[in-house]
Amino acid sequence: MMKAKFWRQGEPYVWATGMALALVLFLTITLLSVVIANGAAIFWPQPVALAELTDGSRVLGEISQQQKRPQSEEQRYQFKTGNREMYSLDFRWVDASAIKRLSHPARVTVLERLENGNFYGYLREIRAPQLNLPAATGDTALAQALTAIAPQQAEIEQLNDTIAELNYRLEQVQNKLAGLRHQRGADPARLEALAAEERTLKGRFDELATRLADQRSALNQHEAVFIDASGTEKVIALADIVRAYQPNTMGVWQKSGYYLTRLRELFTEDPRESNTEGGLFPAIFGTIMLVFLMSIVSFPIGVVAGVYLREYAKEGVLVKMVRIAVNNLAGIPSIVYGIFGLGFFVYGIGSSIDQLFFAERLPNPTFGTGGILWASLTLGLLTVPVVIVATEEALGAIPPGIREGSQALAATKFQTLTKLLLPMASPGILTGFILAMARAAGEVAPLMITGVVKLAPALPLDGHFPYLHLDRKFMHLGFHIYDIGFQSPNVEASKPMVYVTTLLLILIVLLMTSTAIYLRNKMRKHYAVVDV
Amino acid sequence: MDRRFIQKVRRHDRIATRLITVGGMLVIASVIAILLLIIKVTLPLFMPAKAEGIQTIFAAPGAQSQPLLAAGVDNYQEVGFSLDNQGLFTFYDLKTNAVITTFGASDTLRTVRGLDRHDDTFTLLWQDGGVTLCQVAYTLTYDDNGKRTVVPELNNRKDLPPEALPAAPLRVVARGGGDGGDLTRVTLLADNRFNVTRQTTTRDLFDNETTETVSFLIDEELPGTITAFTLDRQGDVLYAGTDTGSLLRWKLDDGAATRTDNVVAVPNNQAITALALVFGDISAAVGGADGSLTTWMPVAPESNAADDKKLRAIHKLTGHSSPVDAIIPSRRSKSLVSLGRDGHVYFDHMTSENHLLDIDAALATIAISGQGNSLIGIDRRGALRLWNIDNPHPEINLKTLFGKIWYESYPEPDFTWQSSAGSDDFEAKFSLVPLLFGTLKGTLYAMVFALPLAIFGAVYTSQFASPRFKKTVKPVIEIMASVPSVVIGFLIALWLAPLVEKHLLATLLSLVVVPLVFLLFMLPMQPLCETPTIQHRMKGYEFILLVPVIILAGGLCFAAAPWLEDLFFRGDLKQWLYDVPGMRYDQRNCIIIAFGLGIAVIPLIFSITEDAISNIPPSLTAASLALGASRWQTIWRVVLPSASPGIFAAIMIGFGRAVGETMIVLMATGNTPIIDWSIFNGMRTLSANIAVEIPEAPQGGTLYRVLFLCATLLFMLTFILNTGAEIIRERLRKKYGRY
Repeated sequence: MMKAKFWRQGEPYVWATGMALALVLFLTITLLSVVIANGAAIFWPQPVALAELTDGSRVLGEISQQQKRPQSEEQRYQFKTGNREMYSLDFRWVDASAIKRLSHPARVTVLERLENGNFYGYLREIRAPQLNLPAATGDTALAQALTAIAPQQAEIEQLNDTIAELNYRLEQVQNKLAGLRHQRGADPARLEALAAEERTLKGRFDELATRLADQRSALNQHEAVFIDASGTEKVIALADIVRAYQPNTMGVWQKSGYYLTRLRELFTEDPRESNTEGGLFPAIFGTIMLVFLMSIVSFPIGVVAGVYLREYAKEGVLVKMVRIAVNNLAGIPSIVYGIFGLGFFVYGIGSSIDQLFFAERLPNPTFGTGGILWASLTLGLLTVPVVIVATEEALGAIPPGIREGSQALAATKFQTLTKLLLPMASPGILTGFILAMARAAGEVAPLMITGVVKLAPALPLDGHFPYLHLDRKFMHLGFHIYDIGFQSPNVEASKPMVYVTTLLLILIVLLMTSTAIYLRNKMRKHYAVVDV
Repeated sequence: MDRRFIQKVRRHDRIATRLITVGGMLVIASVIAILLLIIKVTLPLFMPAKAEGIQTIFAAPGAQSQPLLAAGVDNYQEVGFSLDNQGLFTFYDLKTNAVITTFGASDTLRTVRGLDRHDDTFTLLWQDGGVTLCQVAYTLTYDDNGKRTVVPELNNRKDLPPEALPAAPLRVVARGGGDGGDLTRVTLLADNRFNVTRQTTTRDLFDNETTETVSFLIDEELPGTITAFTLDRQGDVLYAGTDTGSLLRWKLDDGAATRTDNVVAVPNNQAITALALVFGDISAAVGGADGSLTTWMPVAPESNAADDKKLRAIHKLTGHSSPVDAIIPSRRSKSLVSLGRDGHVYFDHMTSENHLLDIDAALATIAISGQGNSLIGIDRRGALRLWNIDNPHPEINLKTLFGKIWYESYPEPDFTWQSSAGSDDFEAKFSLVPLLFGTLKGTLYAMVFALPLAIFGAVYTSQFASPRFKKTVKPVIEIMASVPSVVIGFLIALWLAPLVEKHLLATLLSLVVVPLVFLLFMLPMQPLCETPTIQHRMKGYEFILLVPVIILAGGLCFAAAPWLEDLFFRGDLKQWLYDVPGMRYDQRNCIIIAFGLGIAVIPLIFSITEDAISNIPPSLTAASLALGASRWQTIWRVVLPSASPGIFAAIMIGFGRAVGETMIVLMATGNTPIIDWSIFNGMRTLSANIAVEIPEAPQGGTLYRVLFLCATLLFMLTFILNTGAEIIRERLRKKYGRY
């Protein structure tokens, strides 16, 4: 009898619903922890292992995975051996039974290089007679040599900047020339003057380019000789080395220092090696810029529409339709926004702008192709409903007594709105803003067809007039994930970078969302008091 | 008070009211605008073709009294030509009707006995039995101002001396003879036989050319008198039609011809009057004396031997009301121009069977330009007439988009999406059915996974969880909702998919084992739950106790899987699936998608359901509990029925989100447009299709518009779902009056 009651009252069903909730939470937490666990550890220096195999050969590298062979239950290790140009593969599987001895030699040096990924090996000597290095031995010598070439590298960097600047001016002059020629019947004197300027610029450009090439070859004379695990020599130009470290001798503090250096690189440097190494600066910058531009478009429209719906519109069929329209806008798949952006903004408005203002550059499109402006307008449309709903809800939460009181004191509707309602609703509206920004930061599909690229040659914001280049293509964290995770030729080698990017994107989005949630809860408490 | 101040304030108020109202209206306008714009791009797909009037009419100038045999026009409608009975090509400037130049196909005065035309290549059979091949070509020159001039030329003229033939030649069809050197010449003789001459040029290592000529007769019992015949581009296959309606096909080898087909293509003993190969040389178009127009292509029979392909009637195009005199295939698409004896010109697309145009101009001959944008004909009075054809999307109609279509080289009609391929004569296949199917399949599997979790989870959160806990769960769910889909896509494709592939059995097992372990766990819980103190303690925290159950069940699956795999599936489930039930396992499959889309829609469904349940007035619940119902009975009998419209709305909105989700499916489905319910395959959805194809779709092209059609379908689908959900929620709100 007692037994039956438990079942009859449906208590197991209650537990079953609890099970569903537990599963949902379990899933969420698993996913987040996978990203965090994989993403956060990537910059931590891993020990480098040396495996002496039974056949006499040696394998040197980080052990990146170990698993059982599918059939034989035998343990095997995956070594990240680096040295891509020597072994042609970054990774190698080694059976545990084939390893005679596994050790962690102290002197192993890991080089991060500009090209060909990591190098694992030992330093033999440094060939840089011009540097006049003090007679240091071993690994301090490498560090000294790397410091010694820094001024030369800085010089080259500066030269590069000058050339880029020159290039920009040359382009400007050429554009002007093209524009004048396009008009026909332009002043020949001006044309001549511009052509002359073009010639001088070109001359200077060539001169600088030769100087750059000279400097480069001078720099590349400084070399270091390394040997890999099997004793093969490898000569590497010092300028190719981004960073050198010896993970097996590093202490926790040194490792933390290294971690921070890598983090700084992540936030400030450009990507290398088709986006699988280096930093994320352009992608971070592009994402922020995009969200910023999107906000300028979406927030005013959203707030105005929300205020209209809640404060001005008379309840009726029309308002009902608008509500349905808003909810529909929120539910339209983002790819549909993307294709709308392509058809309307890029091919519609963009092409017209080109024909009106940039006719001399046709058939090369200026605005008639994807760019940050069109992408942010598209995202703006996509996030408007979020702002509208938030505004409406925030205004709706304000007790009607406030409005009545204000109007009883002879304030107009507009005054009530600006002096009372909007300030009171601001936390709620702000929540909407933040949620919209979070949505925009994570959205990728519409960007893919309105202007995001895997590698943008220039940032949309720079020191050249008009400073903000809305027609430029841009990079984006979300697209970065898709691109290096799915379109990169070497998926295994790019995985660390994907995880780091994912972690970064998730952190940004989650930070925004949690702020929004916090703000909203605070606001609710606030009005709970007012309501009394 | 200051009057002016009040006026100012009032003015501001009025302005603000107007501005805000306009802003609000803009929102509706933009929804409608988005829909209209997308539809506007789509519409030209369904527009009929237009023959833009009769652009030029003029009596063929010049003094020739010779009858005209053929005409042609360049791609820019600037230069046209006519060919007369004595092999004289006369080129006209179509703007001014002036004669630009003339070229003779023969150096001596000869009369044409038979003419064959293949695009702009002509095979002229002279009265004396000689044959001349020549090709009309146009070169473009630009002057300094970028002005274009079209210069006509007569290229590759090749004179072949008369052959020694057993009977008088009636017509000659020749293919090849361009740069390659190989030339096949088929001559129809007066005694109803064919003479085939094949000339092959081979080049040895030292660049010495050797030319070999083989000549033979096709001397077979034929079902009637040959009335029409044609050759494919390589000169390897000969098609012929007889006056009794039989369509014959031969394969020409170096020394002999093998007849592969003999089918009746025109019924009732009527003659085949016109025969041509459709662009791509796979299908043959047959015009009959009864006006019928059909296309035939070789199809492999059941036995599936490649050489055994037999001709079958595939498409039936709109028939003429008089015998078909000529069929001219387009050089760009699978379109056909056909000319009836009554002078009607029909323009049809083979695959879609679209009847594009019907021009009634009493024409004697007709030709189409290289790009298929102009038609030129000679009417019965000897005047040249030119039409501009506006026909951007001949291959699209509702049938090609949504019906089964028998494409060339396919064994049977099928739903196919294939937008591009390597070769030039490739025909794009735009069936949306596999995409709709893929969308539906992915969404359904995702809903099966997500619905129970989301709805039950929401029920627990709103009704059973302790209030303190409720406060933490809701933000967690909201945070889950904000995880970008590209992150979910990446995780399930690069982390989960390999994991599931490795532990496939364990994954499948967990679907059964987790509920089982849960039930087992209920047994010891039963006495505990009936102890009031313990029950009171656990109330609201049940699910925490369940987390170890999940972990335990999962561990059990992983532990048991290898053992079970050895026992039942010969140690490898994937191999077993392939060998025994014949299912292929793709790494990116529906299990993965169900997880991914599920994770994307769970928070959405969860929140809306939770809202709907929480909005049920507490008085209802309280009354039920007071009457002695248990907490589950209250939920099941009172709360859920009242909240069911809201839950239904949540399902609809979740469905809409899953249908439109792009990044997850793009990354984790493999994007193969197949129709297969198997849970181990991938698919391609409408949204991923847009993302995959749009970078390669030129603006305004057929693919571009079809992709907009995909977007329209997505829009409509989500529009219906969302509007429905919104109306339901509105009702619910009114019913319980919480807003």
